[in-house]
Amino acid sequence: MAGLLQGEVLLPEQLADLMGLEGPLGVAVGALLGAFIVGNIMLAMTGVAGPWAKRKITAAFTDRFAVNRIGPFGLFIIVADSVRLLGKELIIPSNADRPSYDLAPIVLPASALLGFAVIPMGDLGPLNIHLADPEAGLALVFAFASIASIALVMGGYASNNKYSLMGGLRAVAQNIAYEIPLIVTAMSVVIFAGSLQMSTIVAEQGATLVSLGGIDIPAWYAFVNPFAFVLFLVANMAEIGRNPFDIPEAPTEIVAGYQTEYSSVYFVLFYLGEFLHIFLGGAIMATIFLGGPAGPVLPGFVWFVIKIWAFFLFTQWARSALPRVRIDQLIEIGWKGMLVLSFANLVLTAIIVGVIA
Amino acid sequence: MSIELPETAGVTEQSPEELEALLDELVIGRDDHLNAPGYVIKPDTVVESLRRLRDDAGFDHLSCVTAQEYDDRYESIYHLKKFDDPTQEVSIVVPADKENPVSQSANAVFRTADWHEREAYDLVGIEYDEHPNLKRILLPDTWQGHPLGQSYDQDQPQVVPLREHKNPLLEDQRAASESETMYLNIGPHHPATHGVLHVKAVLDGEQVVDLEPDIGYLHRCEEQMCQNSTYRYQIMPYPDRWDYISAGLLNEWAYARVAEDMADIEVPEYAQVIRTMGAELCRMAAHFLALGTFALDIYGDFTAIFMYSIRDRERVQNILEDLTGQRLMFNYFRLGGVVWDLPEPREEFIENARDYLEELPTALEEYHDMMTANEILQLRTVDTGVLPPEVAKSYGATGPVARGSGIDYDLRRDDPYGYYDKLDWDVVVEDGCDNYSRLLVRMREVEQSAKIVEQCLDLLEDWPEDERTIQANVPRTIKPKDDTEIYRAVEGAKGELGIYIRADGTEKPARFKIRSPCFSNLQTLPEMSNGEYVPDAIASLGSLDIVLGEVDR
Repeated sequence: MAGLLQGEVLLPEQLADLMGLEGPLGVAVGALLGAFIVGNIMLAMTGVAGPWAKRKITAAFTDRFAVNRIGPFGLFIIVADSVRLLGKELIIPSNADRPSYDLAPIVLPASALLGFAVIPMGDLGPLNIHLADPEAGLALVFAFASIASIALVMGGYASNNKYSLMGGLRAVAQNIAYEIPLIVTAMSVVIFAGSLQMSTIVAEQGATLVSLGGIDIPAWYAFVNPFAFVLFLVANMAEIGRNPFDIPEAPTEIVAGYQTEYSSVYFVLFYLGEFLHIFLGGAIMATIFLGGPAGPVLPGFVWFVIKIWAFFLFTQWARSALPRVRIDQLIEIGWKGMLVLSFANLVLTAIIVGVIA
Repeated sequence: MSIELPETAGVTEQSPEELEALLDELVIGRDDHLNAPGYVIKPDTVVESLRRLRDDAGFDHLSCVTAQEYDDRYESIYHLKKFDDPTQEVSIVVPADKENPVSQSANAVFRTADWHEREAYDLVGIEYDEHPNLKRILLPDTWQGHPLGQSYDQDQPQVVPLREHKNPLLEDQRAASESETMYLNIGPHHPATHGVLHVKAVLDGEQVVDLEPDIGYLHRCEEQMCQNSTYRYQIMPYPDRWDYISAGLLNEWAYARVAEDMADIEVPEYAQVIRTMGAELCRMAAHFLALGTFALDIYGDFTAIFMYSIRDRERVQNILEDLTGQRLMFNYFRLGGVVWDLPEPREEFIENARDYLEELPTALEEYHDMMTANEILQLRTVDTGVLPPEVAKSYGATGPVARGSGIDYDLRRDDPYGYYDKLDWDVVVEDGCDNYSRLLVRMREVEQSAKIVEQCLDLLEDWPEDERTIQANVPRTIKPKDDTEIYRAVEGAKGELGIYIRADGTEKPARFKIRSPCFSNLQTLPEMSNGEYVPDAIASLGSLDIVLGEVDR
């Protein structure tokens, strides 16, 4: 199975082929169309996750019913909420720093959507949902994901509100403290795979790790190196700012952090951005630890969606169950705990791969 | 079977004569209250008198400061008690000149005098010399006159436009440019202030340098409303509205106790058992809400704990609804008893309550699993919001806040009323002095309350049918003798809830002063939070379990 995805035709070329276009024009049209499709799939998932799934999941954890009046299982709340949120007045604080105040809510979702460009999402029918496969794919996705913290600082600073400012500064402190362990842990995967290219990392995980009673357990890096998986999971939670590391928002302490002053469309954009980042975090985890779109019977894309929703479910579980740590404790865990552990993991992996294997 | 009384052997009790000898040359007269000897002293010897009483006689609890205006003078009364034995009480009465009411501040001896004297200044108009920060506390700074003073003009317009007053916004509120600190308004609109509380915070980065609670947003003139109502029926509904978070019956008991002691009403034993049961049910409901909201402050989201605590509180409220007909504003107590007996069929009521109590240990186990056993919660609460016992005493902290600081003080046992002294239960004390201890105290107090309710249910079930007297024979109007003064307290959900009443021979009180436990407890917030992080200050605020309705009255 190794190398199966490599060199495969990507979505833009497939679309260009389908439309019978060739040359640079065909690539450009195909790429735009592909990006439109992938972006909309992600936005649609966010739309389901934000107003509906999040409520339903939290309610299940906390012994409540949540939305159940509008439509089957309350699903039409998505429509009602969209109308409600978009119909609200857009209030802009009088001394807001205008260009950056307006840009921040656009930068946040955009950075997450960019990240999905290099994620291999598997097959859906004849289509291979994968927009681009650069050699430095993994580095690129981290780069895109960390643009988020710029958006948070922009929003926090430009709002001219002390709570927002504190939230923005917390976001930076948190991102710096957890980005390093996150990427160092991801490096241990790169050592296994021998490449930063997403398709190679996925393909390498297709090998059989061990065969149990006729069932092949694939060599997903979560099975190969569960320690790195857990480290990455924790760092990822902090990176996307979910409980117990949701201190940039911390409603009971700093009201809503960087998004305190945002309302209406801007608020929706921030909210979208946050959920997109959760899904992007899930997508990165699925790709480098859970075999990407691999899975039996169902099409690859379905498996991919299942995996990122599993991660979403996990974040909501943590939200319902874990208290928030304090900012100094968070930084301490990041610098004194996660960093050391992630480097230990990297060195050990390097020794095992380079010396023993 | 009965509860073990605390060791009072170490607490020497002084006779009124001994105290008079101790105060010696400071005393200029006697003005005894119903349950405490009262000594009149000169306005400039307050500190000296209180210091002698505290250091040489052991009166270490300044329970309350009452101020009032007479036809010929102003008067501040310092109600002193002992934490080791609150039945020993003494009142220090400080008259002040009618034209120029100035009195010495007790702040140097008892820190709790700070807020109490500010309130006296605000509402009555006595000025306190040497007070560190004498300004209005409940009313806005722009308020004209002192509403509980005799010469107060009710018709004077109070809405003063900013242009006629110093506009607080015109002044540059920014700290000097070289300053390293940041000023932050936490509240009155903030998700974690449990009501309309405004905390003025000075921060150094994320750390609290200074913190000042600003209260009064929910001031509803409860004292004056009680002064305008008759003892017999009209006052009783008001206490429900002080600590309105399910603690209604406990508050009603505060009034019932003081009025019954004043009018010499004997409450039938059967009614006492019902009162005890109802009050403990209220305490459970109040503590459940405290648990849930504290979890909310620490977790930051509506988690299962909040829902579970609301669920358990709901069941208590159902029982209370069966008993009183109401879910929040009970109005169930009457002077001399309660308004009606247990609902019929009695067996069903008792069975319902027992079912609930049976399931309670499992529910509490759940809380322990999810809260106290959670390592992140321990990380957040252990050794944060530390309140050493001496500081707590100086601020007059009572209830779970004091008991979480290792102060073994519970009026239900130490100054027995109702049926408590005949039942078997324990006072919960934790000596961690931190947020975690206060949480533990509340959780364990729920167990003890359940134990009390259980015993009450047994008693009620077996009570002979022809002896079920729910009310004593109380006259239709109550007119205590002129100039009768009394201060009495009960153990409310948040601590010592006391009431001072002065009668003037009519059927309405001449002065009705409420000593709110939350008012005193909230004063400790700066002590607990200074130097700590903002999240810890929020956690400390949650652990104080304040109800603004009771703080502001």
